[in-house]
Amino acid sequence: MKQPYYYLDHAAATPLDDRVVTAMQPYLQDDFFNPSGPYAPAVEVRRDYESAKHRLAICIGAKLDEIVITAGATESINLMIHSTGGHIVTTAIEHHAVLEAVAQREHTLVAVGPSGVVRSADVRAAITPKTQLVSIALANNEIGTVQPMREIGEIVRAERARRIEAGEAAPIYFHSDASQGAGQLDINVARLGLDALTLNAGKMYGPKQVGLLWVASRIELIPLVVGGGQERGLRSGTENVAGVVGFATALELVCQRRKSESVRLGGLRDYLQQRLCDVFPDAVVTGSYKKRLAGHLHISFPGIDAERLVFALESRQVLVATGSACAANYGTRSHVLTALGVAPDIADGSLRITLGHLNDDTNIREAADILVEVIGNEYRRVGR
Amino acid sequence: MRVYVGMSGGVDSSLAAALLVEQGYDVTGVYMKNWSQDLPGMRCPWAEDLADAKRVAVQLGIDFKVYDFEADYKQRVVDYMIDEYQAGRTPNPDIMCNQEIKFALFLSTALADGADMIATGHYARTADGRLMMAVDANKDQTYFLYRVSSAALQKTLFPLGEYTKTQVRSMAVERGLYTAAKKESMGVCFVGSVGMREFLGQYVVTKPGDIIDRATGAAIGRHDGAIFYTLGQRHGLDVGGGLPYYVVGKDMKKNIVCVTTKLTDSAIWLTQLSLSQPHWINEQQFNGECLVRLRHRAPLVQATVTAVDDMLHITLAEPQRAATPGQSAVVYLDGCCLGGGIIT
Repeated sequence: MKQPYYYLDHAAATPLDDRVVTAMQPYLQDDFFNPSGPYAPAVEVRRDYESAKHRLAICIGAKLDEIVITAGATESINLMIHSTGGHIVTTAIEHHAVLEAVAQREHTLVAVGPSGVVRSADVRAAITPKTQLVSIALANNEIGTVQPMREIGEIVRAERARRIEAGEAAPIYFHSDASQGAGQLDINVARLGLDALTLNAGKMYGPKQVGLLWVASRIELIPLVVGGGQERGLRSGTENVAGVVGFATALELVCQRRKSESVRLGGLRDYLQQRLCDVFPDAVVTGSYKKRLAGHLHISFPGIDAERLVFALESRQVLVATGSACAANYGTRSHVLTALGVAPDIADGSLRITLGHLNDDTNIREAADILVEVIGNEYRRVGR
Repeated sequence: MRVYVGMSGGVDSSLAAALLVEQGYDVTGVYMKNWSQDLPGMRCPWAEDLADAKRVAVQLGIDFKVYDFEADYKQRVVDYMIDEYQAGRTPNPDIMCNQEIKFALFLSTALADGADMIATGHYARTADGRLMMAVDANKDQTYFLYRVSSAALQKTLFPLGEYTKTQVRSMAVERGLYTAAKKESMGVCFVGSVGMREFLGQYVVTKPGDIIDRATGAAIGRHDGAIFYTLGQRHGLDVGGGLPYYVVGKDMKKNIVCVTTKLTDSAIWLTQLSLSQPHWINEQQFNGECLVRLRHRAPLVQATVTAVDDMLHITLAEPQRAATPGQSAVVYLDGCCLGGGIIT
């Protein structure tokens, strides 16, 4: 990566790891063949494609034939919800992909308190005999809070057991979009207690527009994209071989590095948080401190216009996201912060800082200096 | 002195704001959100423009606000424009925008908000409530400003009036303004590159009709709606072969467009003009020798103005091409824009 950028927005996009690029390279030109082709080189590409999918399956503790490759997490989520009948339980802080997909369906949005962590008891209370899907993201993309997946998984299993006992036919499944947490959290589907999982390569140093939906073999998917019958008829279209090979390599790499990377990013994040909260005592950190992604810091400077900070910071090479509003959608704040009951002036003053591969000790120390200076200037400008 | 400067996200208004800050004014940047609708083939870039304006405000360390004028703009500028086209005229929405939005609604909103004056990035100058041409004769935008009131001008600063466009660019670069290298927007802002035809197509139902050669009276082709054609227009006439045709008139009721191959046709070259809705910035009335401009950047031509009732009659010293009904004739004297009226 070309310095001198201080890139603090890894939750939005990540650069491809060099090893991912290397792994993808052959399939862009030399081995460009359509995996459905009858001749030997195409058959070989097919083999590599299946092998990449197998590697993906291994990383999440699943079987090869339970994975459907999609064009990213949004499509995976849509495919999952499209395939589900009945009532759906999700949370008020889900990604728009989920909220929009369930909007026309019978659903319940479980409220989430200021901690940003869903209470499993609230999920249990939202489940009705008609509920067929519980969909909750592993980690929130805005505030980074991590949800109690095992507890919720237990609840879904218990409900399933109850239905079997009672002779009720309606199935119930637990789906999670783990795109945001894959680099820092365990994503083994059995340990998380999941029936379905969405992942996105673009958030883990892999290519954009590549994702997967894993579903336990008992779940029957109804395709959104029909045509040539690729992906067992569940997602037609010529396979994105390079993308999937890149995805597999990226996922393997983040899985290998997961523990050490979480510790490393947690240290950098804690340093930044400490520094900013020391200098600006009225700064507000949103979301649980403990149940939060290691690289994630959602911090607000009440009374400050966060978009001004973003513009002032970009001119100093610090790239960071606002935590909520921008002037272009004036009056509409983040649905996540609104759901958490965050006051408007805190929402409008919030930055989302998400760390990753492009950050190290020096980089974050320098970024912290610039943040302190720029935020301080803005406080002085507004006379505080 | 508190000045609210209209910032569009372009280089001109960015530098205007920068100059005001340097001159010691207490400056607030304002983005007027007038239009945000996409058109087929053109995404409205308002959100990017707003962000650019705000970036420059942050660079300058000034306050920044957004005024939402969309409803007013639609009613007072866009609807007016559509009505005029439907009546067979070729209106000038930029003039209407200045008259109704920038130097009326923006001014009153800013004053109510605590401003003492407003400013814009127009190439024009003021002196005691009079409107003076800009130093850069090529960029001079007084043509678009002739319907503004003297009272508004007394509350207005035009920081760019003394500079040429080239100077403005290089001053913006010198100051490292974010928008210094931004491409100039062209045409009517909300219509942009897609053209008026596509825009109007969204709002009015049009019927195909005949294109008539005025010399022979023969139908020589078909048009897709008379409203799309403007007097003097040469291109876009879908009639093949031979000499180029020029629009010399149209009949909205019969939905016909009349054309000629004679570039010297008296319908194209006029010396006598009648203007409706005269507006004088300072004078009660003006009669006599002056200079007149019939389009933005068109040359100033010698003329005599005579006021008769609520109309103006203009006699041009030399015939001018395509004085288009709905467009404005603007009157100048000694570098001062006095006012003008709408060509009938």
